[in-house]
Amino acid sequence: MSAIDEVTRELARLPGVGPRTATRLVYHLLRGSTADARRLARAIELLVERVHPCARCGAFTEEELCAVCRDPERDRSLICVVESAFDVRSIEGTREFRGLYHVLGGHLSPLDGIGPEELSIGPLLERVQGGAGRVAEVILATNPSVEGEATAVYLEGTLRPMGVRVTRLARGVPVGSDLEYVDGSTLAEALAGRRDM
Amino acid sequence: MHLARLRLQGFRNLADVRLELPPEGIALVGPNAQGKTNLLEAIHYLELFRSFRGVRDAELVRFGEAFFRVEGVVRGATGGGEERTLAAAWQREGARKRVTLDGVEPERLADAVGHLGAVLFTPADLALVNDGPHERRRFLDIVLSLNEPGYLGALQRYRRVLGQRNAALREGGAAAIAAWDEPLVREGARVFASRRAWIAGVGEAFASLHAEISGGEPAELVYLPALPTDARPDDAETFDESLRSALRSSVDQERRMQTTVVGPHRDEFRMRVPNGGRLRDVRSYGSGGQRRSVALALRLLEARTLEEQRGRAPILLMDDVFAELDEARSERVLELLERTAVGQVILTAPRASDIRLRGDRLPRWSIRDGVIQMGEWGP
Repeated sequence: MSAIDEVTRELARLPGVGPRTATRLVYHLLRGSTADARRLARAIELLVERVHPCARCGAFTEEELCAVCRDPERDRSLICVVESAFDVRSIEGTREFRGLYHVLGGHLSPLDGIGPEELSIGPLLERVQGGAGRVAEVILATNPSVEGEATAVYLEGTLRPMGVRVTRLARGVPVGSDLEYVDGSTLAEALAGRRDM
Repeated sequence: MHLARLRLQGFRNLADVRLELPPEGIALVGPNAQGKTNLLEAIHYLELFRSFRGVRDAELVRFGEAFFRVEGVVRGATGGGEERTLAAAWQREGARKRVTLDGVEPERLADAVGHLGAVLFTPADLALVNDGPHERRRFLDIVLSLNEPGYLGALQRYRRVLGQRNAALREGGAAAIAAWDEPLVREGARVFASRRAWIAGVGEAFASLHAEISGGEPAELVYLPALPTDARPDDAETFDESLRSALRSSVDQERRMQTTVVGPHRDEFRMRVPNGGRLRDVRSYGSGGQRRSVALALRLLEARTLEEQRGRAPILLMDDVFAELDEARSERVLELLERTAVGQVILTAPRASDIRLRGDRLPRWSIRDGVIQMGEWGP
């Protein structure tokens, strides 16, 4: 296989990149300066050499612990459970959450052979139990897909007996949208979860 | 609204067909095996984008051809004279299907279905009566998916949860199985509720349609949700709690059988007609004529639901439906259609004498070996 084909194939495996885009990127790299291409290659190398999951929460970091876990200002009584490290980034982007995270590394999916043991659930329970009562609330922020729901239900059943408060992200109408474009089941959820004003 | 133009390429034996169809419809006459049903199949393809005969797209491509294409122009979809173009093409290479609405590929196939607004009647509809519950669930799911916003989504999510839960039953521990209960209850209750509401809502219409077809026989539709008899909720109650407790009480059976034994995937509905002085299940006790009346009444219900939901008459596609009915029933069905079917009717029959619908108002067209022409075939 030629170098062009090899890089094209590797790029095409990335999300959102099809064979056509991959080919265009490869020819762009070849047309541009060699230094640019080398810098990209080096940056990707550094990325995989330096970055690894945080020993505590599973978010990505270049240290032993991630920036959130190291930050003494964060509220250690709150743990927000997410499916992927990317979700940590999304929630951090809101600047609304001041607690800690826990990355599960996926969701329950028996059809794909993914049961509780395949997810980072044991370490989560250790954090809650070993925290000597310091963890007051666990927020389940798994995706609102059926798999994400089932994962939340499973965690709720496992965490509740430990005497910790377990909450779930609210579901409802997206901000800035028109009611007429919201699908029926989302609207039904939003109605059921309405709040006093 | 009506199908104003149709263009077919490589669809079964219909190599290249271009039709301008009148708003009232046509009566297509031709001997068997000339392509009458294929034409209706092609038109109906624009409703669901799959064959009503349940075959794969590959089998619809004309022998020796690389692709098939169906394009229809619907006029008056919004009451006015506007036109809308529905098209579907499938090519052997890569098994690729492309569906477009006015030239634009919709994000999801689900957004494309139901824009034609057609109901198909075929002799195979007897399977709705004679076959197992699967056929009737499929009927319900199609009617509700096309007419109730959100139903298809709930059904698809339900099927996904069910697959996951059954996999968990084969492998997982109790807690890993129980995690799927609430998602199953949430989506399952929604599916149950929609089905119950539809069946309850059309009960009277079913009885009166059946009475008209059969010459006054009573009939009823009965919904049998797949829940233990004592756990079926009353009209006022919701299905959540019923399904939840049914799941709890079937735990042992589920572990043994390694599959979910309650829930809408095992639903059934029955049609009851008179037998020996009382109403009994037509599937077990119905005569041939009763079975045909019931199957027709179900399709007419489908048409009525579509008309009520969209506020316009559906296109009726009728494949040789009078052949199997006795004289008296045919007369009554024709009378009923004359009175109620205000939209376009495209019907087929092997002989011109089989067609009495709308007197001679329906233009007679003919088909021979995949070629369609206006009027009767010359000598």
